[in-house]
Amino acid sequence: MRRTAIAALFTVLAVAAAVGLTAPPPPVRAQAPPDVYINVTGGGSTKLNIALPDFTVVSGSDAGGLSKLLPTVAGNDLTLSGLFSVVAGSDRIPANNPEALRQTWNNFAAAGAHAGVHGLMTIRGDRVEAELRLYDLTSPDQRLIASRKFDAAAPQPPTSSFDWRRRLAHKIADEIVLQFTGEKGVADTKISYVVGPSGAKEIVVADYDGFGVGPVTRNGSINLSPVWSPDARSIAFTSFMNGYPDLFRLFPFEPRRGVQTLSSFHGINSSPSWSPDGQFLALTLSKDGNPEIYILTIATGALQRLTRHGSIDTEPTWSPTGQQIAFVSDRAGQPRIFVMDRDGSNVRQLTNGGFHTQPRWSPKGDTIVYTQREGTHNLWAIDPGGTNARPLTTGQGDNQGATWAPDGRHLAFQSNRSGRWQVYMMLVDGTTTTQITSGAADSTSPAWSPRLP
Amino acid sequence: MATRVAHVTLMSLLLAGLMITGCAKRPTTTTAAATAPAPAPRAAAPAPAPSQPAPSSGAAAAAPSAAAAAAPAQTPRPSPKEFMAVAALKEVYFDFDKYDIRPEDAKTLDTNATWLKSNADNLVLIEGHCDERGTNEYNLALGERRAKATMNYLVSQGIQANRITIISYGEERPVCTEHTEACWAKNRRASFLVKPR
Repeated sequence: MRRTAIAALFTVLAVAAAVGLTAPPPPVRAQAPPDVYINVTGGGSTKLNIALPDFTVVSGSDAGGLSKLLPTVAGNDLTLSGLFSVVAGSDRIPANNPEALRQTWNNFAAAGAHAGVHGLMTIRGDRVEAELRLYDLTSPDQRLIASRKFDAAAPQPPTSSFDWRRRLAHKIADEIVLQFTGEKGVADTKISYVVGPSGAKEIVVADYDGFGVGPVTRNGSINLSPVWSPDARSIAFTSFMNGYPDLFRLFPFEPRRGVQTLSSFHGINSSPSWSPDGQFLALTLSKDGNPEIYILTIATGALQRLTRHGSIDTEPTWSPTGQQIAFVSDRAGQPRIFVMDRDGSNVRQLTNGGFHTQPRWSPKGDTIVYTQREGTHNLWAIDPGGTNARPLTTGQGDNQGATWAPDGRHLAFQSNRSGRWQVYMMLVDGTTTTQITSGAADSTSPAWSPRLP
Repeated sequence: MATRVAHVTLMSLLLAGLMITGCAKRPTTTTAAATAPAPAPRAAAPAPAPSQPAPSSGAAAAAPSAAAAAAPAQTPRPSPKEFMAVAALKEVYFDFDKYDIRPEDAKTLDTNATWLKSNADNLVLIEGHCDERGTNEYNLALGERRAKATMNYLVSQGIQANRITIISYGEERPVCTEHTEACWAKNRRASFLVKPR
């Protein structure tokens, strides 16, 4: 039975788990989505051991060192996914040599690897075609699980901070995660964040792993609160570039496109949050005398006021269905997290007994992360129904400003645990924490992009 | 039956609670472009890659907005850069996470109001500020409330509202950068700048 091979691959990691059965899979079709599904929310104690030996150059000259770079970057991505443990070893597998391939996999299997990744590259100048082959090293015949081809080329004209080679590696890693879990990884994403001290903050963008930092704003003002639009093409943010805190939008990958003004009312224009469909922006305005939450229709500029309360209402965050909005209000004396319906009705208090700001609704809908001030600041999570409040960070300086990865498994946030503010990422269960930035200036307010188009 | 057994073993991977709802299939070969989506016209291509600098502030500020900006008819805001500090107008301070005027600060505001009445040709900009605790976006709203409370007090003392503009800097413009209560107390403030009409 063909299916026992992959079953054996997975069962080496097995823990007892009673899960409902499903119907047998549909007939395999070309380009059908993968049908091995692992739904995971955290890191888990057991990971799949995966080998990524140097990629094989089938033809062309590997002057750029892709045969090492691609598996190294993709291997780091798999580690950051929290699902895999990369087995060391860098055997170079010759092209068209099944026996050498078999021996390589035997060696890795002996070292504990459950799966192997073989990349075969055809290189023509600044263009590379890479074929990814995934093998089950626990099956007697080292069965080929899947293969997939990628084309990548240097952008023309070349751009300074974009590394197309690293992006190819990220796409390969995301495909591997897809094959094993049924959902693409989040390596082919960006993180935008704010760099600089008080009074001089600019927004930058980098790969999600911190590489390839490039500027988004360069206006010498104070720029705050970047958030990605759902199409991953634009960033809304608060800026004092025109003197007052107004809301703007920039297209970081379209340098010829100028900045758009989204909102410039008297008072504050702040806390932008995109609706899941990208048609609306929830925001905070004080134009009517007090910080209140409104919804701006991007296409028309129409405004709808949601809150009417004498206290501070700010920091809206949409549920992934677009039907509810969580926000911060100090109407209970201290700032707490509240939830209301999309039209401003049905307001209910979500958190109690603390100083709570920065709510961020998971893209999967099941969790709202927020910041609790308790001497220092720490990240907490709560279910949208108001139960199961739990700390995600503790005892390591201030931790705040969370942003969700599109998989709903990873969070990025800012922490001063090492002194200066830096951006970190972790799994939502609080494990697999990794420092992303290491600059000499404060790095704050990360915003994790959706998957790139 | 073999299929079901395979399913059962599959489902025990990695974690209690993880779920595998299918099985491996025959190897598939598909092609995906690792470059930016090709079909899109160049001008509109998402090209989610190059991190190019945005225009400098001057160009950025002047660029026409393609979206419908929510900036309807309203009286123009004077540029904050046109306002200057004046020694006669003293700052007032606030308790942590508060925006009410304390009694001792009301006296300061009374003195400020007297100066503003005798210098009626001056417009005033009230800046609201916070300490570094709390978080950026909330502090932007808190600073707004502090500036507004200060403005309301001056108006109650007879200063015309149309002479007053307020701005919140949140926690972005501290006067003191040490991480101590003494320093934080100096940063939780409303300050005053003036310019001739």
